[in-house]
Amino acid sequence: MWPDRRLIDRFKTEFPIVLAPMAGVMDAELVIAVAQGGGLGSLPCAMLSAEKAREQVNIIRQRVSAPVNLNFFCHEAVDADPAREAQWRQRLGPYYREHGLDPDAPINAANRAPFDAAFCAVVEELKPEVVSFHFGLPEPKLLQRVKAAGAIVMSSATTVKEAIWLEENGADVVIAQGADAGGHRAMFLTDDIAEQPGTFSLLPQVVDAVKVPVVAAGGIADGRGIAAAFALGASAVQIGTAFLRCPESKVSAAGRVALAQASDESTVITNVMTGRPARGVANRVMREVGPISPDAPAFPHAATALGPLKVAAEKQGKVDFTNLWAGQAVRMGKEMPAAELTRALAGAALARMGKMAG
Amino acid sequence: MPIGTELTARLGIAHPILAAPMAMITGSRLVMAVSDAGGLGILGGGYGDRAWLEAETAVLRRYHRPFGIGFITWSLARQPELIEIALEARPRAVMLSFGDPAPFAPRIKAAGALLICQVQSEDMAQQALDCGADILIAQGTEAGGHGASRTTLDIVPAIADFAAGRVPVVAAGGIADGRGLAAMMMLGASGVLMGTRFYASVEADAPERAKQLICAAKSGETVRGVVMDWSRKLMWPAPFTARSLSNDHLRRWSGREIELMQRADEIAVEYAAARAAANFDVAAVFAGESVGLIHDIVPAAEIVGRIVAEAERTLQGRRNSLSSLS
Repeated sequence: MWPDRRLIDRFKTEFPIVLAPMAGVMDAELVIAVAQGGGLGSLPCAMLSAEKAREQVNIIRQRVSAPVNLNFFCHEAVDADPAREAQWRQRLGPYYREHGLDPDAPINAANRAPFDAAFCAVVEELKPEVVSFHFGLPEPKLLQRVKAAGAIVMSSATTVKEAIWLEENGADVVIAQGADAGGHRAMFLTDDIAEQPGTFSLLPQVVDAVKVPVVAAGGIADGRGIAAAFALGASAVQIGTAFLRCPESKVSAAGRVALAQASDESTVITNVMTGRPARGVANRVMREVGPISPDAPAFPHAATALGPLKVAAEKQGKVDFTNLWAGQAVRMGKEMPAAELTRALAGAALARMGKMAG
Repeated sequence: MPIGTELTARLGIAHPILAAPMAMITGSRLVMAVSDAGGLGILGGGYGDRAWLEAETAVLRRYHRPFGIGFITWSLARQPELIEIALEARPRAVMLSFGDPAPFAPRIKAAGALLICQVQSEDMAQQALDCGADILIAQGTEAGGHGASRTTLDIVPAIADFAAGRVPVVAAGGIADGRGLAAMMMLGASGVLMGTRFYASVEADAPERAKQLICAAKSGETVRGVVMDWSRKLMWPAPFTARSLSNDHLRRWSGREIELMQRADEIAVEYAAARAAANFDVAAVFAGESVGLIHDIVPAAEIVGRIVAEAERTLQGRRNSLSSLS
């Protein structure tokens, strides 16, 4: 038995396991598989158009009768600064030359759009059971519309202060995202990476500070971790990295090799890939230019100039410029179907808790 | 009711709770308070101050419950004779952290003490097991004072898997209450080692002001880095850095470490004066990420009692199954 049923009951899922929305490496396939396994599938919409998001949700709805979580970014959009872009391209110039690319050729801009009225209309139309946000919450008017559409609203906190802010500003559920987590740090009230606590010191402090249910995120990849998160007061866990090697993910062949070879010391928090701090498997550009570089243009524009390099290197089977986001539990990822993995994780957690309780 | 594990059996203690050897802060008074309460107090031998060690071990020589003595290994290597002073006090265990334990392991084991090694990676765990460690501490980056970069949630199950069937593993880093103890047991640990929680105890040998700052600090108000070490001209070997409460000095020098190193002589004088004056705007209060869970300065026995009660509630109190779990 799960010691805390608050979120299972609200989500109406079999297990308190939320698939982390991992923009760029997954689509409806992984959402469907996790939902079939009894977890809450999350569709990352930050890199999709409203139209594409609608199409993906329709696929999910056709294939599985289960609640779904749509995830959006709500960073403050800033225009690309031509001077910084030029400087960044210059910084990356040697890599362009190495790969026979023209550093002055036009490139498609990085596409990570914040939640807006168009996305909100999609939410109102498709009525996802859950909507989660990264980097805070959208403006109150939009948030009200999301809630009026019947969605449970979740957002991530990287500090206790952010957790309190989220609760006060209308989040129904707070995700405590520890420094162990892969992908973008959700930080929105601070930009100090040095002060980001690990999952297991952040989690109980967030549980103490807010009344809403708390989801533990970051570094959890097996039954022991889930059981431990519940001991610390979590009502659910959000897991991403463990699902990266599932056949349903969209991780490239080269990415899968890198994940299989990663050790727990392979991941770093870097800002060079997108302009915002995120944890991923260290690659060549992170090592040589970062992991933290003052030259990286503001989010998401740092990704623009890396685009052609990523494509060129991946053609040679290399992940030198690929943002392979992953958390500190990277070595615990399993190469097995996601539905099966979801059930295995839940089973192992329940067994662990049952064994501890005698 | 005691929470029995493989660790408590090996150490001969009632509860799987160890007080970290915080350099010169975990003195004989805190050691005895924790051990009296059924945990294991570990004297903070730190860098190795001979006079301090002689005075504290003189008290512990007359103490009859199990206790431990801890050292910073790379620093102990500069005055290896200090290990003899420690062993004369007949500790149940000697804990070595940060460096190669091999030069000291045979002597410690020959004296009949258990060898506890604190590790931050599988390689270090292997090194410790190779020289006969009886207990491993898996320390996460959340810990106060010195440590490395992997988080508790990552390193504890990793080392638990690595040492499975060989020696018990104790979790350290970010733990300050019974939920933490229960969670670490879920991860496969046999107990916990806590520093910061015991820093804010009546018996810790630290200025009252420092203890109050720990109680007042909120989650997230600690930083890991090299500033506090370099300000004392202490050059720690990689990969170790230190976590302390954020303060003016840290804010001033973080990101300007090269300049700090260039001006080390001048800064060291300033830092030493601040430390002597208990000016914690400059001097470090070494503390871990659990600070946000710590709100009061209480006797160590009360800390142990609370944690045991809360962990039992979390684990649903059926302790008999715990001993079979290790």
